[in-house]
Amino acid sequence: MIEVKNLTKTFKDGPVETRVLKGIDLSVAQGEFIAIMGRSGAGKSTLLYQMSLLDEPTGGEIRINGKEALAMSEREKMFFRLAEFGYVFQDYALLPELTARENIALPLLMQGISGEAAEAKAEAALARVGLGNRLNNLPSQLSGGEQQRVSISRAIAHTPSVLFADEPTANLDKESSATVMDIFKELHTGGQTIIMVTHEEEFAQFAERIIKIDDGKIVSDIRP
Amino acid sequence: MLSFTNIRVGFYLAVRQVRRANLWTTGLIVFVMLLTFLNLVVVTGLLVGIVAGISNQFRIQETGDVMVSTLDTKDYIENSSQILSFLHTLPQPKVISARYLAAGTIEANYFERIDPNEKPNKTGASIVGIDPVAEDRFSKLSSYVGEGQYLSPSDYDAVLLGPQLVDRYSFGEQPGLTPLKKVYPGTKIRLTINGYTREVIVKGILKVPANSPLAARVFMPDTEVRQLLGRTDYNVNEIAVLLAPGADANDFRDFLKRSGIAAGAKVRTFEDSIPNGVAEVQNTFGMIGNAIGSIGLAVAAITIFIVIFINAITRRKFIGILKGIGISGEAIEISYIFQSLFYAAIGSALGISILYGFLVPYVSAHPIVLPISNAIIVAPLNGTLIRIGLLVLTTVVAGYLPSRMIVRKNTLNSILGRN
Repeated sequence: MIEVKNLTKTFKDGPVETRVLKGIDLSVAQGEFIAIMGRSGAGKSTLLYQMSLLDEPTGGEIRINGKEALAMSEREKMFFRLAEFGYVFQDYALLPELTARENIALPLLMQGISGEAAEAKAEAALARVGLGNRLNNLPSQLSGGEQQRVSISRAIAHTPSVLFADEPTANLDKESSATVMDIFKELHTGGQTIIMVTHEEEFAQFAERIIKIDDGKIVSDIRP
Repeated sequence: MLSFTNIRVGFYLAVRQVRRANLWTTGLIVFVMLLTFLNLVVVTGLLVGIVAGISNQFRIQETGDVMVSTLDTKDYIENSSQILSFLHTLPQPKVISARYLAAGTIEANYFERIDPNEKPNKTGASIVGIDPVAEDRFSKLSSYVGEGQYLSPSDYDAVLLGPQLVDRYSFGEQPGLTPLKKVYPGTKIRLTINGYTREVIVKGILKVPANSPLAARVFMPDTEVRQLLGRTDYNVNEIAVLLAPGADANDFRDFLKRSGIAAGAKVRTFEDSIPNGVAEVQNTFGMIGNAIGSIGLAVAAITIFIVIFINAITRRKFIGILKGIGISGEAIEISYIFQSLFYAAIGSALGISILYGFLVPYVSAHPIVLPISNAIIVAPLNGTLIRIGLLVLTTVVAGYLPSRMIVRKNTLNSILGRN
């Protein structure tokens, strides 16, 4: 599904160059749940951003369903992200002036779905994460755990090929984290491909494959 | 790309951002838009209105809609009585005033002059013989009496003086005009017409702006002016006609000309008889108003730019997230355009309501009294719509540019708050 070959990423700050990814080779199959782990600054989030087309790598190849990602224009990447990917960020990344339902409906509207259908899908997605009764709440009226569940609903409402999650439990308490991970597990059981960055061993165990990165390179790739 | 989806998503975002924005902030922006609109329309309208006020003064106080006056080759309008009778049979005139005009002099303080070589307190003036009742119906002359009383048809040896003839009220210097000193209602002055001198009493002094056609005239009952002029044929010098609502001045002028009146008199509309250059002055004032309005427009543009820029820069992270989850940059920009449109539309709508619902009718009924004119607000709807168009266009551009600047930034950098 996703093929990464010799992926490199270098950040430049004036004359200073920092090589964050130093030749990553990785293959992700359909329906896999992968946890990417590593210490801070190891390059795990950077790898996720390259694979999810949020950033441009310095070198290497990324093939998604056989399509060369680096050859895509910005507009093609935008539509690809809209249709094929779902994102869950550490800080939920919900729009503060949109209700839970509206946050989820917005990308569906961008896909050309009618207003009614988008709202219906949004409601269904919220019901799936147990927030069917918080449709009209603004993010500020929800707890951190609830906001992250809204964020997951937004990511899965259009049934994406891949769900990318960047430290989804980092800002949550133990109970909310467990709820979020249960949802991921359930989604995976339903066949959803998930690539999750985490530094918490406990939650990495939910994945079927754990990739460890250190100093910009994959140092282990295990199936627990 | 201006696709239907982008517009729909942009509108969806804009509605929610406006609806859930801080009420005070929204109110302040709308208030700025309202002030800009008023600055754009009212300042120009008022400047043009000063000149329009001057023109209107001539219409309602002197010429009426159509004026029949003496030919350049004659001293009076021949067959005035027949013309007046004919005019009174027509449906178009609402009010008619016939006047005798004579050049003369007035002199005050002649009892105090001891030395015959001392310069007399004397000035030239236009003496107007009027039917006090008809003239009052025409120009509401009695309402302009600031001191003393209005004339009555039975008054003998009584006059009304325009304020420019009285030292206490005269505004600026006028060539050949030496205002009379120490003149009050009841003061006796000498009036000379055609070589005949009569001592008359000042019955009242008018209170009108300096450039009013009434300002430098002496009014006297027509019977007395006729005597002083030695005119026994009842031929007058001018006949001013105010038309009934709906009657067209040009059509009525042409009708009178076709009726043969033009053979013995000049027949002109108000527009024909106003001094040359008034239109140019009006255009000049309009241009000055536009220049001032343009500054207001620039200030509004900068205000909107700053507001949207601050809004967009503080929301940079969310703009990054929107782009990250696949919302197009165009849809985000359109959402800011809709927000700017909203501010401009609400500001303009409020402005139009205040302008046509209050300011224009109120100032028309109660003109702003200025030394040179009773100013009104001239704000034709088509001109106002053009200014609204300008305001909306400026606002949209001022809203679009900053949003475009922020939307163009790197998506991931925006999400992560990196520069």
